[in-house]
Amino acid sequence: MDLYEIRGGRLDVIAEEAPSGEEYQELGRESATMEPFLVAAGRGGRATRDVSTFQRFSINTNESLHFEPCEDGTEIAKTRSKLQEKVAEMENFAGHLEEIFLTVEENFGRQEQHLEQHYNDVLQTLSQRYDDRAAGLEEEKKSKLEALYNQLVACGRTLDASKELIEAAQELYRSEDKRLVLKVVLVFFAKEEVDLTLSTPLEFKTPLADLSDVKTMMDSINIVPAPSAPVINPQMPNSATQTSLRVCWSLFSDDTVEYYELYYRPVLEDTPVKETHCTVKDLLPNAQYELWVTATNTTGISPAGEKALYMTVPSPPVIKQRECTSCPEAALIRWDSGNTNPVDSYTVELSEMGTDGSQSNITESVVAVPTCQCLIQLQRGRRYLISVRAVNIGGPSERSEALTVSTTGTFFHLLEDTAHPCLSISEDGFTMFYGDEELPLSAMAFDDNTFARCVAVLGDLIPVRGRHYWEVEVDDLTEFRIGVAYEDTQRNSYLGANSSSWCMRHILTPCRHKYEFLHDGWSPDLRITVNPVRLGVALDYEKGTLSFFNVDLEQHLHTFHCHFQNYVHPCFALDNPGALTVHNGIEAPEYAFI
Amino acid sequence: MRRSDNPPCRSTHTSDMALTQVSSNKCAGGFQKVFEHDSTELKCKMKFAVYLPPKAESDKCPVMYWLSGLTCTEQNFITKAGSQQAAAEHGIIIVAPDTSPRGCSIEGEDDSWDFGTGAGFYVDATQEPWKTNYRMYSYVTEELPKLINSNFPTDPDRMSVCGHSMGGHGALICALKNPGKYKAVSAFSPICNPMQCPWGQKAFSGYLGSDKSTWEAYDATVLAASYSGPQLDVLIDQGRDDQFLSASQLLPDNLIAACSEKKIPVVFRLQPGYDHSYFFIYSFMNDHIKHHAKYLSA
Repeated sequence: MDLYEIRGGRLDVIAEEAPSGEEYQELGRESATMEPFLVAAGRGGRATRDVSTFQRFSINTNESLHFEPCEDGTEIAKTRSKLQEKVAEMENFAGHLEEIFLTVEENFGRQEQHLEQHYNDVLQTLSQRYDDRAAGLEEEKKSKLEALYNQLVACGRTLDASKELIEAAQELYRSEDKRLVLKVVLVFFAKEEVDLTLSTPLEFKTPLADLSDVKTMMDSINIVPAPSAPVINPQMPNSATQTSLRVCWSLFSDDTVEYYELYYRPVLEDTPVKETHCTVKDLLPNAQYELWVTATNTTGISPAGEKALYMTVPSPPVIKQRECTSCPEAALIRWDSGNTNPVDSYTVELSEMGTDGSQSNITESVVAVPTCQCLIQLQRGRRYLISVRAVNIGGPSERSEALTVSTTGTFFHLLEDTAHPCLSISEDGFTMFYGDEELPLSAMAFDDNTFARCVAVLGDLIPVRGRHYWEVEVDDLTEFRIGVAYEDTQRNSYLGANSSSWCMRHILTPCRHKYEFLHDGWSPDLRITVNPVRLGVALDYEKGTLSFFNVDLEQHLHTFHCHFQNYVHPCFALDNPGALTVHNGIEAPEYAFI
Repeated sequence: MRRSDNPPCRSTHTSDMALTQVSSNKCAGGFQKVFEHDSTELKCKMKFAVYLPPKAESDKCPVMYWLSGLTCTEQNFITKAGSQQAAAEHGIIIVAPDTSPRGCSIEGEDDSWDFGTGAGFYVDATQEPWKTNYRMYSYVTEELPKLINSNFPTDPDRMSVCGHSMGGHGALICALKNPGKYKAVSAFSPICNPMQCPWGQKAFSGYLGSDKSTWEAYDATVLAASYSGPQLDVLIDQGRDDQFLSASQLLPDNLIAACSEKKIPVVFRLQPGYDHSYFFIYSFMNDHIKHHAKYLSA
């Protein structure tokens, strides 16, 4: 049969041309070593490279160079070294070519092996199909012949019977009793009908040849098998935004891939992609996603690859304006993360503003800030725009809204959570009131941080051991305490009455205004002839001084000398109903720090 | 000894402006010196002390005049007050004159410690036999500054005055009677209202006569009540255990009341435990120099 012949021939050809992969590789290597300039030199190594190799290259590359008579020794040496370089280069190249050659051979071998296997499969399938079909036909022929033979036998029998009948009729005809003859004949004819139609159809049933599977097999012979699972890369820094991720993966070099499908949780969605990277959009900020990839070609789909965790970039943080504080040398910036789950770090960016309000391009960044606050060193007498970004593996978030910091003076807000319940604070946060009507004790909400006895509040001074200056506007008729206190100063004692606070106190007596400079319950005895309505407070950590001034007169009133061990906060208290206003961010007058 | 870059006498000056150095000691990087000269106002030889800070070697410096108290000479201040270190730091020249003419052979001159020698009270006497020599007010406000400005590297526009007890009274009246002339004024336990205290009454009646209206021109409390001029800033320190405070010689409350009324800025500090001595002055000298430096350096 033709088919068998073809099959056998093909097999022979394959066997001759393509031995098993291993053998073929060996063969390839042998043939490679036989190439004169490719491998010999490379394998031999540079150290053992001899003149003959050298000459061969010379001839191959530039004949004139070699044969030119050289009078100058250095020229020869130069040429020689040039040529040696070239040789080395060529050797490298040769080595590279060899590698490529080997790879090609290897791949080709594998491909061939693969093809052979496929063709074998196809041929096997076809021969199987042929055997089945042939056996079927034989069977059918046999049954048909049997049926026809039976019919033939039946016909013969009918013929004999008919002959007998004819004889019997003739015999009867010769007898006298004609009536009897008729009777018998009638009976006879009535007795049997002979079936003369063919009991078997002449056609053979030919079932439809379903060769689709064979066709599929044949088609698949031209391509490689379904790809292996792609390998997803770990997340690259700065590859994400708040709502999107750029995902990369790689395939095995042998695989041919039509497209990939990327899956991720929690949102299940697959998107065929041709490239080995993809940007997934509409995600949640600062969220972790599990991603994996499948590769598909015409043959089929690979198994799912390893799962990788990627993160989207965080939302921008929100600077807490009321909790930011500054002085001429530094600023303390505090912010809300802006993200419910933790981020890796924050980056604080600052740029200086020109006097005309223009923003300079020079931007400094403080990176890898682990918490939601940062103390930044600044230059005196400038204006800065400060913003914050949240950072995770995916990259930095957008900038937060910027905060303007001016380094002319010390700037702070009041720590409203320390305020005595009777003390109300204006909307701008700088004026405090002690109202006339007494609150019933039950209506007062105290916590551990609230001043419970002294109607006081602390200011949030930047923790920088430099010089700080602020002013307070007071009323002639207001009894007040103004000064500084340690953050943990007793909340149930009066400012100045303990060792953790220092303050100027104004007392109205029936005959005069009395001023005290209280620390630890003690004050020097002094008289001030002009009542200050605007007080300057100058704190110098280095000198360990806290001075008070009548700003309008530039008059020095008193200086406390104390080397503050801890950071202090400005403190303000009202001893009778009235108001105080803090003036912040003022450049300290020269006399404040003589 | 004179500085070569600072000729002691210009041609316009008469020979009585000539200075004789009595002593010179290096002190706090500068020099504490004492000079003698013939005073035209007092018609006698007068000594004064001058402290030259290191800064005076290269720059013009402001001058603080120190007026001493009863019985003192120029020596008390320079040996006891401990002012030189702070003066060196702030670059201030301190001039400390004597407290009265000496050796004028006036009858009764040396009879008591609180009148005559060592008790000039910084007035220009109008009564015989004092009126020829006892012109301490003109001496400290006119003659001495001119002498200092022509002999030392000073900035004539920047001067201030400070004193103790009788000198405190002197400092206050110098400042109150010459608005704008002194950039700053301060005092240790000053006699604030001499018209109302025994010391003042004795001195004023002797030097100025019985007409009390003439006393008013030398009484700080009275002068404060009528002061008009540039803003003053007065610092006064007073020892609480000062025997003369309890003896009502000093009467600071009267001055405070007048200044409160007139809105003249005063910081009056009553220092517990301190008396009237130079030990007290020494304790707060730095605060006063700082007070002067603030206005002299501005």
